[in-house]
Amino acid sequence: MSSRRSSRSRQSGSSRISDDQISDLVTKLQHLIPELRRRRSDKVSASKVLQETCNYIRNLHREVDDLSDRLSELLASTDDDSAEAAIIRSLLNY
Amino acid sequence: MNHHHHFVPDFEADDDYVNANTNSSSSNLPRKPIIGEEEDGDLMELLWHNGQVVLQNQRPNTKKQPPSSSSSSAPPPPLDHNLFIQEDEMSSWLHYPLRDDDFCSDLFFPAAPSSERQASNQVTAARPPVPSTVRPPEPSSMRPPAPSSVKPPVRNFMNFSRLRGDFTGRGESGPSTVRESAKVNPSATPASSAARESDLGSRSAVDGGGAYTVGDNRKGKAVVTTEPARENQGTSSSVASKSEIETIVDERKRKEREAIDETECRNEEAKQGRGSSSTKRSRAAEVHNLSERKRRDRINERMKALQELIPRCNKSDKASMLDEAIEYMKSLQLQIQMMSMGCGMMPMMYTGMQQYMPHMAMGMGMEMGMNRPPPPPPPFMPFPNMLASQRPLPPQTRMGGYPPVQASDPSRVYGSNQQFDPNSSQAQFSAYMDPFQQFRSLHPSQPPQFQNQAASYPSSSRVSSSKESEDHGNQTTS
Repeated sequence: MSSRRSSRSRQSGSSRISDDQISDLVTKLQHLIPELRRRRSDKVSASKVLQETCNYIRNLHREVDDLSDRLSELLASTDDDSAEAAIIRSLLNY
Repeated sequence: MNHHHHFVPDFEADDDYVNANTNSSSSNLPRKPIIGEEEDGDLMELLWHNGQVVLQNQRPNTKKQPPSSSSSSAPPPPLDHNLFIQEDEMSSWLHYPLRDDDFCSDLFFPAAPSSERQASNQVTAARPPVPSTVRPPEPSSMRPPAPSSVKPPVRNFMNFSRLRGDFTGRGESGPSTVRESAKVNPSATPASSAARESDLGSRSAVDGGGAYTVGDNRKGKAVVTTEPARENQGTSSSVASKSEIETIVDERKRKEREAIDETECRNEEAKQGRGSSSTKRSRAAEVHNLSERKRRDRINERMKALQELIPRCNKSDKASMLDEAIEYMKSLQLQIQMMSMGCGMMPMMYTGMQQYMPHMAMGMGMEMGMNRPPPPPPPFMPFPNMLASQRPLPPQTRMGGYPPVQASDPSRVYGSNQQFDPNSSQAQFSAYMDPFQQFRSLHPSQPPQFQNQAASYPSSSRVSSSKESEDHGNQTTS
């Protein structure tokens, strides 16, 4: 990919950011998003990918919050000196 | 309510007239402290004019003198005609038809009586530009709330009553109400209702503008809305509640689109003059351009939204922003995975993890302490596989105290590719921490240690790919 990019940039001259580059990134995003990964088609529009990305990130945020809550509850139920507590704390500060 | 503070609260208990005075004075802009409030203790005739309260005492002033002849406990209501009158006062007010034509005319209508009538009407409709004018040269000062102190008392009364009912709900933002009513002619209903809607949001704005806030939450308070002239014009922006502002923005957008459409139509028409073939082509091109533009707009919108979601994203170009989005998503996924594993593992901590306790106590995090098969990975992350590290822990744990770093390591590794297997996990531990550090508060000095360790690991395709992704990241950022 790096070689591809460098050749691409050489071709595009001044602009280092080409459309191909952006579409590559969009494809990568698409692969990360479970919803869109199944489609694996090239027809997914960039706008849709971006929209799904935003939704997905929001979902992830929500999950992180939920897990943090659970972990803090767990932490409350353990001794502060235990290794468990240390682990939980490290996870929470992640 | 706020306005009420300006006035002697005691007045409320007093007779209607007093109340009316206080109300009215509070309502209007130049809230001249009810000057005469204290004068007689009781009767204070406030002359409200054009938003300004011209205090009228009981002194034997002829012109403005309210029919003090009435000098009863119920002071001549005529004074209140132009003032804000409360609902309850309506009756008393009604009982006192305008007796002093002169009085009223002088106050409000410089013109002759005949014109006064019209003036009063106009007043109700128009908005006095400057509240401070005592004698508003223009009849507009007589805003609707002022039910006609003038000549045709009856007529004014009508206005007032009409308006009054509508003002009930207003309370909050007088100015907006005023504005609306100003625009609409004395059909107070539509104006006030419209104003009311906008009022809800704009209350503060109105107050700021010095507009008489109608609503002082007094029910049925007829507000003399001598909204400053600017309110009338600039109102929409100042008074506009959020919804108004949004609608304005929407309108602008709509206008833009309409403008675009219009130009399109015009172009199309022009083209038709040239010839069908060229017209078709140009039309198609235009349509294409338009759709392309819409598509780009949509994409830009989404990019902006995405940028807001990513913490500490200060990239302006699309590619680097997308890069960051990708990294961030991966780190989030990893984090969630680890946390969920932690939640699941906690109860089982003591069963199989004892040997790794020391390491864990160092805050190495679960992934380092687990040398056993990880729980089934979440659908999107085969991350647990990576945890099944064959390597002895101690070398890794020498880092000590970098729990976050440890956590980010796998994430970084994960970032490079999505498929892990235990054998290659070691290779992953070359810590390309930088991309993730921005998402977490990691100590900047931590990564190098990982990198040292990574050097000792056999390079594999994973490593190269991870390096590649790092290069990718570097390249885009540079």
